Amino acid sequence: MMPVRHALLILAPLGLVLAAFFLVPVLMLLPTSFGSYVPGSGIAKGVWTLENYLRIATDDYYREVIWRTLGLGLGVSLASLILGYPVAWLIARGPASWRVPLILLVVFPMLLNLVVRSFGWIVLLANRGLVNNLLMQLGLITAPIKLMFNLTGVMIGLTHIYLPFMVLMLVAAIRNIPRDVEAAAATLGSSRTHVFLSVTLPLSAPGILAGSILVFVLTISALVTPRMLGGPTYKVMATLIYDEYVQLLDWPSGSALSFALALMAIGIIWASSRLARRWAGMA
Amino acid sequence: MSDGTDHRPGRAVTAAAIAVLVFLQIPVLVVMLAAFSTTSYLTIPPKGLTLAWFGKVLADPTYLAAIRMSLILAFGSTLVSTVLGVAAAYALFRRTLPGSEAIIAFLMAPLVMPAVVVGVALLQFFSLTGLRGTLFGLLMAHVVITVPYIVRSALASLAGLDGALEEAARVLGATGLEAFRLVTLPLILPGVVAGALFAFITSLDNVPVTIFLIGANQTTLPVLIFSSVEMGIDPSVAAVSTLLILATAIVLILAERRFRLHRFV
Repeated sequence: MMPVRHALLILAPLGLVLAAFFLVPVLMLLPTSFGSYVPGSGIAKGVWTLENYLRIATDDYYREVIWRTLGLGLGVSLASLILGYPVAWLIARGPASWRVPLILLVVFPMLLNLVVRSFGWIVLLANRGLVNNLLMQLGLITAPIKLMFNLTGVMIGLTHIYLPFMVLMLVAAIRNIPRDVEAAAATLGSSRTHVFLSVTLPLSAPGILAGSILVFVLTISALVTPRMLGGPTYKVMATLIYDEYVQLLDWPSGSALSFALALMAIGIIWASSRLARRWAGMA
Repeated sequence: MSDGTDHRPGRAVTAAAIAVLVFLQIPVLVVMLAAFSTTSYLTIPPKGLTLAWFGKVLADPTYLAAIRMSLILAFGSTLVSTVLGVAAAYALFRRTLPGSEAIIAFLMAPLVMPAVVVGVALLQFFSLTGLRGTLFGLLMAHVVITVPYIVRSALASLAGLDGALEEAARVLGATGLEAFRLVTLPLILPGVVAGALFAFITSLDNVPVTIFLIGANQTTLPVLIFSSVEMGIDPSVAAVSTLLILATAIVLILAERRFRLHRFV
């Protein structure tokens, strides 16, 4: 058994790096979020104010962006769940020889660069993109339909990006269900649909919860895909933070919004882990 | 009751699953097609095929500098994260230290914090300390975002370890370091390599932290693609993306052959 002194010694380097380059920078952001921004000259000295947080709670534009972000989180989680469940089921319960190739087909897009994947959707969804060109060649439409810089584009892009996470979570959950339970229900005369609805689906609920929370948190935190497929006008919280820092240089407002986003993400993870613990206690 | 025919996925489920798997690959295929297309807007079938965009990318000093920067950061941060992360996991996995659970939660925290928040926090910190635009600053930022993957995979591998093996090595006279290097490390290596692979890819993929921290004449490949797309679609972006797709596919296949990567996802 390692002495405590040795353990501390090999833990210290990483602890110090994370304290210096993660904990301290995040804590230093806190005073900024109570600062006051003066256009042209930066942060006013010696002024403490709650206006940045009040604006987030009361300003119509901020509220619209926040509701849009949360709505996207829900929409993408739900879409990933519906699209991901059949894939997870096929991986977990399908022919054994299909398992590894199917997992690799799920993992490959997940490992692929986020920017590249979003760019692929731009090639498909732009006004002169593949989808519009195809529809016009087929004579189904006469003018391009708007598939990007709006909800449609951001939803499609984000669902594509976070779907693999959901599938992997669901595969783990479905494989944990004893096959005997399903077989027993089938033997007792349940139809396949009934077995699924009354046995498989409820028993995979912990995986559904974990996958949905993961996808929700990743979606509300996303910057790259909403920016590339939503453009400069269709904003979510992360892209608004980006603009406030890089274009408006309004750091106080951007940092307050950053804390709001971080609190949402951490709060949801905390609440879900409590819920999961309660479920585990019942089982 | 192991005759499983009744709860096997039916034909409709299989068809739906395959459709979704195709949906997952579509943007990848489209990018690769666009890279070989002579026109800047892709049509099906393509108007003509060319390799010119690849030549343009590989002769462009901006792209080459960005690729170099991305590789330096990815290799550098993976190396630092692996050494620091495995050491920390080794200190923590037996939970001998008081507050081990809290320390582990702290080491995993960069994964929970939205990346854009880490980005702006480091932007302010680096502006105050003069680290903005420095390689050291960027490297440390990438260590912060990659190290949770190493800690997680190392902890999982260590948890599956038979503690008696290392004890045996110690009884036979090995020092603590020798026992770790000769017994423990080889046993946890596949898990650590899988974690390092995810760390490498995370670093190579990162935009939301990096974009706030780069200096005036600095850029990484994903940040360069991200900002050139804002100017409009250019087939050279498709060409450089195709190179990344091929590199990812090769790494995935090698990792699967060598370490059976699918066990770790």
